[in-house]
Amino acid sequence: MTTSATPSGGTAPAATWLTQRDIDGLVFTGEMYGIQLDQLTTLLTATEERARAVSARWRAHGYADTARLGPGKAWLWLTRMGLAACGLPYSAAPPALSRLAHIRAVTAVRLALESSGVYRTAAATWRSERRLRACTGRPGAAVHIPDGEVHWPDSADVPYAGECWAIEAELTAKTVRRTASIMAELLARTGDYGCPATQRAVPGASPWHARALYLCSPAARHTVVRARGELGAALAARIEVRDLPPGARM
Amino acid sequence: MIRAYVTWVALRAAGRVLRAALKVATAIAAVVAATPATVVAAYSYTIAWLLGWPPRRLYRAAAWCLPMLGVLFGAQALRTGQWGDTWREPFGSWRQMWRLAARGAPLAGLATAAPVAIPTGLLIGALAWSYRVFSMEIGTGGLTADAPITFDLRQWRHQVRSARARIAAPGAVPLVSRRGAIATGAVIRTVQHPGAATARAPYARLRSHQVVIGTTGTGKTTLLLRLWAGFVAVTWRRFAAGSGGRPLLIVLDCKGGADSRQVADRVRRVLRSAGARSTAVWPDEASLSVWDLPADQLVTTLLELIEHGVGGAAYYADVMDAVVSMAIMAPCGPPASSADFLSRLDADWLALAHASDPAARNAMRWSAKQVADVALRFRALFRRLGTGLDGPGSFDDADVWYCILEGTAETAVAEAQAKALVEILAAYAARPGGSGAEILLAVDEFSAVSRRVPIWHLYERARSLGLAVQVSAQSWHGLAERNDDRYRIAATADGGIWLLRTPFPDPISELAGSRRMVDTTRKLLGWWLWRGDGYARAHYTQVVDPDIVRSLDVGQAAYIYRGGVTYVQVKRLVAGLSAIPGRILAPTQGAPQAVAPSRRPLPAAPQLERLPDASQLLDDVFGAEQHRGEVSG
Repeated sequence: MTTSATPSGGTAPAATWLTQRDIDGLVFTGEMYGIQLDQLTTLLTATEERARAVSARWRAHGYADTARLGPGKAWLWLTRMGLAACGLPYSAAPPALSRLAHIRAVTAVRLALESSGVYRTAAATWRSERRLRACTGRPGAAVHIPDGEVHWPDSADVPYAGECWAIEAELTAKTVRRTASIMAELLARTGDYGCPATQRAVPGASPWHARALYLCSPAARHTVVRARGELGAALAARIEVRDLPPGARM
Repeated sequence: MIRAYVTWVALRAAGRVLRAALKVATAIAAVVAATPATVVAAYSYTIAWLLGWPPRRLYRAAAWCLPMLGVLFGAQALRTGQWGDTWREPFGSWRQMWRLAARGAPLAGLATAAPVAIPTGLLIGALAWSYRVFSMEIGTGGLTADAPITFDLRQWRHQVRSARARIAAPGAVPLVSRRGAIATGAVIRTVQHPGAATARAPYARLRSHQVVIGTTGTGKTTLLLRLWAGFVAVTWRRFAAGSGGRPLLIVLDCKGGADSRQVADRVRRVLRSAGARSTAVWPDEASLSVWDLPADQLVTTLLELIEHGVGGAAYYADVMDAVVSMAIMAPCGPPASSADFLSRLDADWLALAHASDPAARNAMRWSAKQVADVALRFRALFRRLGTGLDGPGSFDDADVWYCILEGTAETAVAEAQAKALVEILAAYAARPGGSGAEILLAVDEFSAVSRRVPIWHLYERARSLGLAVQVSAQSWHGLAERNDDRYRIAATADGGIWLLRTPFPDPISELAGSRRMVDTTRKLLGWWLWRGDGYARAHYTQVVDPDIVRSLDVGQAAYIYRGGVTYVQVKRLVAGLSAIPGRILAPTQGAPQAVAPSRRPLPAAPQLERLPDASQLLDDVFGAEQHRGEVSG
């Protein structure tokens, strides 16, 4: 590991050169599997040149790797060393090619939400799909994992304080039955991810997700709306459907 | 005459007293003269007694001092250039110490003598402690008749205290040693096994068959978790080194209920820390497919899942055999699911499917009336089995499979499930090209479901497939239904037997073997005085003392292997944060089952009161919803 001199004459790891913005960016990237350079620019609220310099520095430290994986700007993801430095218990791997579009869409949703004043004031937190999947401990488990969760603290000064929202980014249309099944499963859940199966859907218990927020592409919107209609009025009232934010598509 | 006799008696008594006083004075003088060494000897003896150390530990400590002594003497000889006088150096140090003490510098004197006094003292302490232990073992030590028994009990307490202190130290017992052995805890005492501070089982022992016996609440699960975590960690290490396959641990928990779910959750958390990437809990969260079995094996398995009578019922068994064979061996291929299979149990479908086969057509004509009955029985069977065996899924999907069989509540169902699981595992292990995994099958309380899968058959079959089997039970009788099977399982546990507290350890103690001991008798003069003569004889005594096993505390185990035993204080593995806040409820009949997403029924969602409006935030961030009225609910 690179070291640098400290005033006391000893040595300290190069990580001491990281600013808070670097740390936030690294953790964000690790949580989201990876990030495209233009979204990193938005995340860091910097120019593209500055974002490139930051990513080069992360790469020089061995915390991140970059490559042009698909259309658009280059992708950046955390290496094993970067994940360890952030304390994230995930396996280091570049974003899967089949999921690039989806990861970009989810990242766009998160960036859009986090840019809102209400979100920041309420100190809401995002729990990523990667973290939720790590909680379940079993890849390919027979449970549906949302693309993210937004937790609103109880102390927040918003009407929905204390709620947990499931976030779904829909780029392509599934069948109505499948989408309705996923919606019902999300809303029926009563336990956190990783809880025993017996606590997953306990009759009479309060729901884990107060509502589900679907961000849809034009292609998927109709299916999602129809699936919501299949659920009945009580559940449909807990499903919010909106369009994906600009820049979500590759 | 009398006077002369009295004088002689008095002189003789005075002589005896004088001789005794001389002996004591000489001993005191020797102790004082060798003061630093005697202090070290007394200290080491006391420490060994207090901590219940075996004497070899003191011998080893003395031996480790020798290099220091060699370096000191070598340096001294180099300084003086007189190599021939090196042997005198210890005496020189001793004289120098007393000279310095006489000059008023006792600390400097002690420092001078320390390099010689410490190993000498340790050696003297070791010899004295060896003699004490030996005399107590053969029954010649102590002032009273029960002194050896009291000594042994007290030493056991001291050894337990030391072992507990050792495992309490953070990092003192790492899960896997540098040589790849699995550390289970701190050693309390060994008999016929080499002594060590940490109990370690080489990996090969876990790849052999093992037996674990212990009643509820004795730490059996803690021990099993440690062994499983060690297996996973070492197998991954070997896999990374290219010397073995990936780990696959399959646990068949045949009790079921809420406790099993709680254990499953703990297993998942602990094994994740040990490197298991994924843990599947069957049938609650994952499923396996019995339909992936080869067609002929599938026929046999399905037939064995159904209970048949004897006598006249054999005719119906044959009819069922014919019908099931025709449904599975149909030209269009074997069924893919229970629904597919049930749809084939139709006389018209079977006749159509086998239209080109005259023999099958004839068989169908004879058994057409019974097809509906067969379908009814299988429909009832699949309803009771649930969807856990209906796929999708295979043992490739996870590193650890925790299979919960409701052997207590639903014995008949659990028996059928056990049968099917064993068949799926056998097919997986025997598939062409091998499974590519090092498989450990851990079976807990299998006797609860072994009516239709005799554990001995499972044991033999696993051996033939190269699987390691770990059988655990709450008692000797829980190992198997029949006593012969119990003995066969215990006698072939070439990876060793773990005994926790159990009220009936005698059969295992007998299997562990015996060792030769010396038994000494002494003559009693008074109520506590012994005479100096007696008799000694060699006799055989059991290696494993059943009374110790009966009185083991929570977390203590006796590991029996190759005619020896190591008593271990098991180190508990600490898992990550619990996903279970409290005691969980037993699953209901309709417990969540893993099914294909397309067939997953819509669960009933909890109802909420009217939600607060979040549309302002969402409209600001994502824009207003334009399609609320597109499709009516």
